[in-house]
Amino acid sequence: MNFHSIPINRRKFLKTAAAGLSGIVAPSMLNAKYSTSPLSIGYLPITDSAPLLIAYALGYFSQEGVVIDRPVMVRSWKVLTESFLTGKFDITHMLFPIPVWMRLKHKFPVKVLAWNHTNGSAITVKGGSGINGFKDLKGKQIAVPSWYSMHNLLLQLGIKQMGLRPVIKSQSSKLGKNEVNLFILSPPEMPSALLGNKIDGFIVAEPFNALAELKLKARIMRFSGDMWKDHPCCVVVCNENLIRNYSLSVQKAVNAIVKAQIWLTSNPKEAAFLLSRDGEGFLPVSKGVLEQVFDDPADSELKHPEWGVSRIGFQPYPYPSATRFIIEQMKETVVEGDTSFLDNVDPVAATEELVDDSFVLKAINEIEGVGKPFLREETIEIN
Amino acid sequence: MKSINRFIYTNPKNVGLNTIFNRKKPAASVEVMGMVFFIFLWCILSYFIFAKEGSEHLRGFLPLPTFKALVDYLTRGNFWLSAWASCRRVFLGIFLASVVGVPLGIIIGYYPVIRKFTYSPIQFIRMISPLSWMPVALLLFASFESAVSFLIVMACVCPILLNTAIGVLNVNPQWVRMAMNQGAGHIQLIRTIIIPHSIPYMLTSIRLALGIAWIVLVPAEFLGVSSGLGYLINDARDTMEYDRLMAMIIAIGIIGYTLDRILQRIQRIFSWTWAE
Repeated sequence: MNFHSIPINRRKFLKTAAAGLSGIVAPSMLNAKYSTSPLSIGYLPITDSAPLLIAYALGYFSQEGVVIDRPVMVRSWKVLTESFLTGKFDITHMLFPIPVWMRLKHKFPVKVLAWNHTNGSAITVKGGSGINGFKDLKGKQIAVPSWYSMHNLLLQLGIKQMGLRPVIKSQSSKLGKNEVNLFILSPPEMPSALLGNKIDGFIVAEPFNALAELKLKARIMRFSGDMWKDHPCCVVVCNENLIRNYSLSVQKAVNAIVKAQIWLTSNPKEAAFLLSRDGEGFLPVSKGVLEQVFDDPADSELKHPEWGVSRIGFQPYPYPSATRFIIEQMKETVVEGDTSFLDNVDPVAATEELVDDSFVLKAINEIEGVGKPFLREETIEIN
Repeated sequence: MKSINRFIYTNPKNVGLNTIFNRKKPAASVEVMGMVFFIFLWCILSYFIFAKEGSEHLRGFLPLPTFKALVDYLTRGNFWLSAWASCRRVFLGIFLASVVGVPLGIIIGYYPVIRKFTYSPIQFIRMISPLSWMPVALLLFASFESAVSFLIVMACVCPILLNTAIGVLNVNPQWVRMAMNQGAGHIQLIRTIIIPHSIPYMLTSIRLALGIAWIVLVPAEFLGVSSGLGYLINDARDTMEYDRLMAMIIAIGIIGYTLDRILQRIQRIFSWTWAE
């Protein structure tokens, strides 16, 4: 199988040549906005990281002329954020609420460049359990991977929709009528805890849901994309200083990531192989598990088959409507720790401050194959 | 003047309670029996815990799948690379910790003022879980590799330092008085009496540090490194392949045991030299 075969036509060739030329000329013209030392990318062993990994594996970064080291894997959101804060990683993927929290609470100069992927999470319950919808979660214990995560936000959205109340209590304390208890658990522990009846369900990124499905015969209660159509999950972030100093490198990196997203959309099987330990070994799981993730769910598993969502989708444009919605929801979401920083945040201004869509807009306009509606209505329906 | 220590340690195998219980040297087979008993215990316990209905996904913890996974690993280059990577991190970490810990331990043990001065800071630092240094390690070091080594050093330096200091404190005061009586200076005293006497303690401290280093290694390899036995354990947890996880535990056990044995041999050599 050759993953590097990209059909070259004349137009494409001219475009590549032009891009190459601009790469040569630009540094002297634009005050060297181009980093000569390699940029580093960090990722977690989840399918959320696919666009960054594919852009590297297929050589899109080098094609664009930006030097990137082999992406470095770390094992937890904590380590990923700490590494990003201390400058170990130039570009990385992050759950959308994390940069919101970093920027608005800690004033760290993080910028969201693009959406990394859409959907890609699910609420998983035990195979034989009678939990079929959010209303069945009453009095249950549900694990989330981190307080500042899309998972926590989506889960609480669903719980509240059913008139239930999300709470954070110790597991032994008695739950009131209409309460759902949430707590943090690291993703590798979730499937085992589910089977050992420590928890009644969990919401987490892939491939942990697929793993639980295949290994433990667990059942997906709801795909996240089935609640909020094509919702953002991870975003591509970098430090504002990188944009200021090396805007050209950032542009090239974003171009490569957008290309990788296009490739991922049309080559799910190849992507599953390439990322798995049977292929390039970026993720520790086997090909079969990843195929389950990249395969679209059957209509019978969906509440809204008419939406036509993928289990994990790839779409780069950061719709401001979604960002605003996330910031609004973060105000409503119960977390442990101080959230007063969100009280006076204006979602519109915060979106402006947080997201820099100039690079991704340029990439979308130049690269064929990405949809160009820059406005959308958020479709959220929970039942 | 005949020291009491000299009498006890004429045979270095007769240290401590061994002088009482160890009239006859126990046969090597006792050690083998210990190992067999341990494996037997594992079989029984894991059978009761994991073989019951409803924990099929935990069957990897049973001995048979574990050994299958271990054999499978042993045939892979990946495993040996990881074993070497982890050993290198452990060696480097312990080496650096000894470079810092041993001289400091000697000074702290030797000078009472410094001992008092450093007491509270050392007790304070000693209690901190080395893993809480992770953000500091990430900030201070350019590469993930050096951050991992830093965590191991932080975990090992206190036991090495304290044990060395205890070794210094345990020098027979009669020897020190005798040397001083004959006009020995501080440097001379440290070089000819304190250090040779503390070597067994230093080696004990390194044996202790070895165990701690392996404990820290698994979580430390959460950081951005791409090989190592801890890394493979994390991989196994991420994919719920518990036979692989157990295989790695066994591998770490075997490597740790071997290293400890080597250190024990070295220790024995040194206890001869100073006792003679």
